[in-house]
Amino acid sequence: MGLMKWERTGPLDSLTHIQKEMSDLLDILSSTSPMEGYASMEFPPIIVSANEEHVFVRAELPGIKIADLDIQVVDDVLTIKGERKSVAVTAKATYLRRERNYGTFARSIMLPEKVDVERVSASYKNGVLLVKLPKAAEAKPKQVVIQKA
Amino acid sequence: METKEHPTVEKKKITPDKCVVTGKGEWYFPLSDIYETPDNFTILIDMPGVGTDNISIDLRDNELVINGEVSQEAYTDEKVVYNEYNIGHYHRHFVISDAINRDKIEAKISDGVLSLVLPKAEHVKPRKIEVKTE
Repeated sequence: MGLMKWERTGPLDSLTHIQKEMSDLLDILSSTSPMEGYASMEFPPIIVSANEEHVFVRAELPGIKIADLDIQVVDDVLTIKGERKSVAVTAKATYLRRERNYGTFARSIMLPEKVDVERVSASYKNGVLLVKLPKAAEAKPKQVVIQKA
Repeated sequence: METKEHPTVEKKKITPDKCVVTGKGEWYFPLSDIYETPDNFTILIDMPGVGTDNISIDLRDNELVINGEVSQEAYTDEKVVYNEYNIGHYHRHFVISDAINRDKIEAKISDGVLSLVLPKAEHVKPRKIEVKTE
């Protein structure tokens, strides 16, 4: 409900007002996505992509120290664990708005292909983690040579 | 590891009305924290993927306009298999009052988090009034 112009109203007007409020409430309750426009999901959100040689996993992890991140690959499962620490604010600080979240997180994802666990590398730049997983030799496409009989 | 509440992510798509659209891509509304200390206000904004080169902060009249652009070049030879977030630019604006010393606003970005320090103007800082004895 936005701002309404103040008007001199009769007693019946407030009834229609209540009716409007109720129908607004019903709209909110019955709508399929109460957070329209928002995509609420697990932290961190990831993108998995691949080219011929590698599988790439990117995760949006703004404001995290590399030391607080723990990345593991076991067979074809990648686990990203860590903690997003709150900024050390002095005791005198008062929060006026708080939308960002802090805390510990852990998530495991199944990789689309077999990877070479020994050669996995990861980098962190501008708050985005990139895990580069070379595909295992057996998962790479192989050219089959046709032999003349 | 102690258990705390898990962080969640919310991304809201915005219609760019105040941002200068220079490239392709969607615009998103980044999450921010604002806190106040006796000397200044601090705004923290999550902008993963944005570095010092592709951020612009403008003060227009009373409005602090923040635009961050993200490059999608990295994906040219990759096929996306699974996608949970959209790569897009960030835009957010804040209206600031006279309580801010506009000449001394400082900004820095590290690890995808922009922090803006807005010092309070002298006339709004808390001060002690001494009682004189005659």
